[in-house]
Amino acid sequence: MRLSDIAIGVSMAMLALLLSYLIVYGGLGPIATLNLRPLAVSFLNYTYNPWKIVYSAMSPEAVTAIVWDFRGLDTYFETSVLFIAIVGLIALFRGANVVQGVSSKGLSIIVKTSTKLVAPLILVAGASLAFHGHLSPGGGFQGGSFMTVAMTLLAIAFSIEFFQQKKLTLNRLLAIRCIGLLAIVVVSVYLLVKAVLLGGYAYIFQNMPRINSPYSMPSWFLDRPLAGILFFFNLSESIAVIGGLTLGVVLLLLREEELKAIIGGGEHE
Amino acid sequence: MSSATTFLLTTIMISFIINIAISLYGVFAKPSLVKKFIALTIFSDSVNSFAILIGFRRTPLGYPSIAVMPSPPQSVEDLKRFVSEAVDPVPQALVLTAVVIGLAVNMFLVGLIMLYYKYYGSTSTRRVKI
Amino acid sequence: MSEMLPVIMAFVAALISIVATWLAVQERDMLIATLFSALQSTCYALIYYLLMAPDIVLVYLPVSVGILPLITIILIKKTERYEE
Repeated sequence: MRLSDIAIGVSMAMLALLLSYLIVYGGLGPIATLNLRPLAVSFLNYTYNPWKIVYSAMSPEAVTAIVWDFRGLDTYFETSVLFIAIVGLIALFRGANVVQGVSSKGLSIIVKTSTKLVAPLILVAGASLAFHGHLSPGGGFQGGSFMTVAMTLLAIAFSIEFFQQKKLTLNRLLAIRCIGLLAIVVVSVYLLVKAVLLGGYAYIFQNMPRINSPYSMPSWFLDRPLAGILFFFNLSESIAVIGGLTLGVVLLLLREEELKAIIGGGEHE
Repeated sequence: MSSATTFLLTTIMISFIINIAISLYGVFAKPSLVKKFIALTIFSDSVNSFAILIGFRRTPLGYPSIAVMPSPPQSVEDLKRFVSEAVDPVPQALVLTAVVIGLAVNMFLVGLIMLYYKYYGSTSTRRVKI
Repeated sequence: MSEMLPVIMAFVAALISIVATWLAVQERDMLIATLFSALQSTCYALIYYLLMAPDIVLVYLPVSVGILPLITIILIKKTERYEE
């Protein structure tokens, strides 16, 4: 072992001991109290409150209401950070394209047959999670991640040339991602445009009628709560996530011949 | 009964701190770039677990319930009972954002490590003098 | 006693995760280190479920046991497999 390794190990052990001492004697706050913090009590009170619609979000699921309605701007900027990472990945591999006209290789026929049975089931389960995100645990990211796992299974068992043959090129995946982002923008300013055209006031990301403005998105659908803007946000976010993450994985799966054309061999020191 | 629960929860929190220390040691002391990447993902997972443990609560009888209403409430007493039994939903919303941002940064890091290997010929930080 | 059962299960899962983290950092074969990291993520997912956070479990499982080990194995295939 080198001397630097031993020094790092000793300092990490001292860090762990110090933090544990602080926590056992209550220095970082109490663990598992009986009363919640006032902010949590306020959010839980107003997540579905038909007697005070002016403060409420009308969705039985508290976590989705906080993510998309009470703190909606945080989630909007997180979606754009994901978009910036995908754009950076495209810029690193610029100029590389999947080879055209090659017949698809892929794994053996046993793997292909069993993937043909399993992948549609995973896609349907992911779509179902995205649809009922406002009634039960689920939502946009959860559904999108499930569907991305199914798409990567298809990309590995068949090959990425198979995607090229079925007209699902890299540009089309990027277009799916941009359609999802556009849908988010349109839904978030819908009530604002409506108020400008018909007179009155409205806010961005507005869900239910507020003190100054009487416009609202629909909150019931036939006999179930629909929670207005949360349903549409979940749908568009799942489309955006499946496009972006599949594009990232396909870019990392490119073959060596295509990469050599853009990097051009090594210049070792 | 309640002191035993406090002891177990404190031990779980100390295990998260030990995981943070071990993964930080892995990031600093191991020479391979892929090992540093794996240890970095373990580090960010352990820090997220801190926030979720802070949101836990204790109820006078039984175990707390999730922050989802099973059916639309018919009276004000239903709402009061829900508020007195549910866990804190705010840390869960923050951790959801943190997990997605961590995934985005990790995918970009993998692309960078791949190009680093193609250019320099090795993924060991002790063999390459930049 | 029966209402402390979830907390006892979370305690056991936390101890297993410490062992898995130490083995993942010590290992020289990168493929086995990825496997230990996925085992640690499974223990964490069990802890999140017992702490009443189902939304986090539904994001954490595909991300940390599905996509991240996948791109790590692609990286190992294109670079080196053994450390040093």
